[in-house]
Amino acid sequence: MDEKELIRQAAEGSEEAFAVLVKKYRTKMFNLAYSMIRNRETADDIAQDVFIKAYIYISKFKYKSSFGTWLYRIAVNTVKDYLRKASRINKISFDERLASPDIQEDEVVIKEEELEAKRRKKLLHRAIQALPEKHRTILTLRDIQGISYKEITGILNISPGTVDSRLYRARRMLRKKVACLPSQKGGSHEM
Amino acid sequence: MRCKKSEKYLLRSFDDRLSREEKDRLNTHLKKCPLCQERYREYQSMLQTLRSDDFPEPKPYFWERLQPRLKEERRYGPWPLWKLWGIRTIPVSLLLIAALTVTALFFLPAQQEELSQSGILLRNQNPFEESLPLLAEEGIENPNMMLIFTSLSETSSSRRYIP
Repeated sequence: MDEKELIRQAAEGSEEAFAVLVKKYRTKMFNLAYSMIRNRETADDIAQDVFIKAYIYISKFKYKSSFGTWLYRIAVNTVKDYLRKASRINKISFDERLASPDIQEDEVVIKEEELEAKRRKKLLHRAIQALPEKHRTILTLRDIQGISYKEITGILNISPGTVDSRLYRARRMLRKKVACLPSQKGGSHEM
Repeated sequence: MRCKKSEKYLLRSFDDRLSREEKDRLNTHLKKCPLCQERYREYQSMLQTLRSDDFPEPKPYFWERLQPRLKEERRYGPWPLWKLWGIRTIPVSLLLIAALTVTALFFLPAQQEELSQSGILLRNQNPFEESLPLLAEEGIENPNMMLIFTSLSETSSSRRYIP
């Protein structure tokens, strides 16, 4: 059964059809939420919320974009809502988060290089989380999820030019933040 | 090519969004600019790390956990738009009413209350309160008038008391 038929049946109330759609997209929704929040429990809750919203409004889906793009749009908005609420509750600065002894180096068996790569990845993700929301979103969509430019324009409802300039600024900001991190070799040069 | 322009091209090159000519210009600049070469390496390492990101699996029984929630949603159904907007307008209208009340209390002139005689007595007020200043003004004249009239009724010229 093709996706269009599944959507039509789900809109008519078929739970089986919706279950197939959930199975197809659950990992993508979870990964998007996880890459923006970095917490498995919360990412799972958000993925569930995305499908509940999709289930409620599936009858309003007009096939103007692909179903995946529509779901990603719901996911991005759900994550944004969550981040807004979370930032109101827990306002911790980027520097404070970096200073916190959160990096667990208990995996002694792992080679030093692997440990360094892991540490670098963690710091990079923390730097992403310290970026403004719109820059974090576009970096997640393009550089972590690998979503195409065209699909990003549909998800964020912005022009290709805006995607280009926003992505440029986001990557530049991230490089500057990463260059300031203590694990990085050498200093940062301003252009 | 300036370094800022080269950085723009450099980032586009990672998404394969450069024309042949732009690629050539970037390569020419990179060959002679060590600073941009360093930038290139930094961006390359950063994007590679991001793109090689590994994700944990979603928690097990995703559908089994979702299904009861969907059933619950189906029972209540989506809220119609007018209801959603109706709820949103409640705090706004309450604020508006409060603002109007405050404005009315502080900025509108207080109206003079006209009370009946019994109303004044019930409030234990002096009914002649308004005429008191007038009486006080007349009070200056009254002693003089009294003196005049007393002198007219006097028969003797002496002011001494005669029993």
